[in-house]
Amino acid sequence: MDNSTPGMSEKLVEYLDGGLSGGDKQELEKQLAADAVLQQEYQNLLATRAAIKYHGLQQQVAGIHRQVMQKALSPVKPIASLKRKVKYSIAIAASILLLAGTYLVYNFYTLSPDKIFDSNYRAYELSTPRDNNQPETPVEKAYRERDYAALIRSHDAGKDKTPGGEFLCGMAALELKANDKAISYFNKVISANLKASPKVLNDEAEYYLSLAYIRNEDYDYALELLRKIKEDPGHTYREKVTNKLIRQVRMLKWR
Amino acid sequence: MEVNRNLPDTELVSNLRSGQRMDESIKAIYRSYFDSLGWYVMNNSGSRQDAEDVFQEVVVSFIDLVQKNKFRGESTVKTFLFSLNRHTWLNELKRRGRAMAREEKYERGQERVELDTSHLIADREGKAEVARLVGELGETCRKILLLFYYENLSMKEILERMHYETEQVVRNKKYKCLKQLEERLNGNPALKQTLKNLLHG
Repeated sequence: MDNSTPGMSEKLVEYLDGGLSGGDKQELEKQLAADAVLQQEYQNLLATRAAIKYHGLQQQVAGIHRQVMQKALSPVKPIASLKRKVKYSIAIAASILLLAGTYLVYNFYTLSPDKIFDSNYRAYELSTPRDNNQPETPVEKAYRERDYAALIRSHDAGKDKTPGGEFLCGMAALELKANDKAISYFNKVISANLKASPKVLNDEAEYYLSLAYIRNEDYDYALELLRKIKEDPGHTYREKVTNKLIRQVRMLKWR
Repeated sequence: MEVNRNLPDTELVSNLRSGQRMDESIKAIYRSYFDSLGWYVMNNSGSRQDAEDVFQEVVVSFIDLVQKNKFRGESTVKTFLFSLNRHTWLNELKRRGRAMAREEKYERGQERVELDTSHLIADREGKAEVARLVGELGETCRKILLLFYYENLSMKEILERMHYETEQVVRNKKYKCLKQLEERLNGNPALKQTLKNLLHG
């Protein structure tokens, strides 16, 4: 068949596009089988269509390639200044909160009555040297020599029942870790001072009594006394009773 | 909303073969394989631009082969792409006249390339020439032919997009454009093998 037949080329393209059916299609397929030139033209059309499809695929991939590479190579956008500040502030605040929380939890679980006692206790010092007219009492002598057991024995033997002697007994009992005894002695000092004027070693007794309560785990008594000391502007130990100390005793109470 | 996920081999190949969700599938290929394949080119005398060009060509070749049923899953998509990438780049180096003194092994992918896909890669120059000839058709012709033969739109749909008067006018235009391209391609005997490869793979 001569493919120069008018309309043959259009018919071949229609066949290529799947537009022929029925008799027309069968007729063209017969012609294709019999006509090498027509067959060649059809092959050319198939190759042309394949080239278009390949070009389409190239274009589609190239479009996505541009998108992907643009995204991959585009510089990281700086965060707006305010946004960045807020972000960093939140991060810092969160870090501080975390650290503070960790610190509080750590303190909460590692805090102990003995630890608080040790960090607030300073042994009382007999500061006033006695002159020859006022000889040192056996209790004072024992305290100075740190013979606490002898001090309490001497006191219990009834040799020094003054507030000063009771106070030193309390201190000796603290040194011996006899909390109940220390509490008892310091309370005697405070009771004796209720009617006394001037008061003798009352502030000292109150402070050391609060420490004795802490170590004895009597936190309510300790807190009551600590608050009283802190609220008293003239109290000798006011400066020693810090908010931290009160907070720690409270924590022990909660735990 | 763009779904940013990697696709299993079977889903990827199925999409590419059917032409469904092509954009998503092509992006998945880029996401999964560009870094390692590009690394190979850049570690074997290539630049970043070479890596991009070769990868783009590899993706086109891979999809073309999948659509011609030349990839039947005998290997993983990754192995197949690595092989295509390697041979495409070796061919390019040979073309440039500086064969590599020593080919470095893949390290990042930890996968030895033993699959030979060199026979599947048609010549780059031929493909480039075909692309040039199609590109030179003129915008209208190129668009009509792509809409009809690549995007598989009907004459009615093309009419709506191209604003011609009737479907018959579109049909006539498309016929003329096709014949014009056919003449251009046939007028270039050097493209015979490339066209044969495009036709049969």
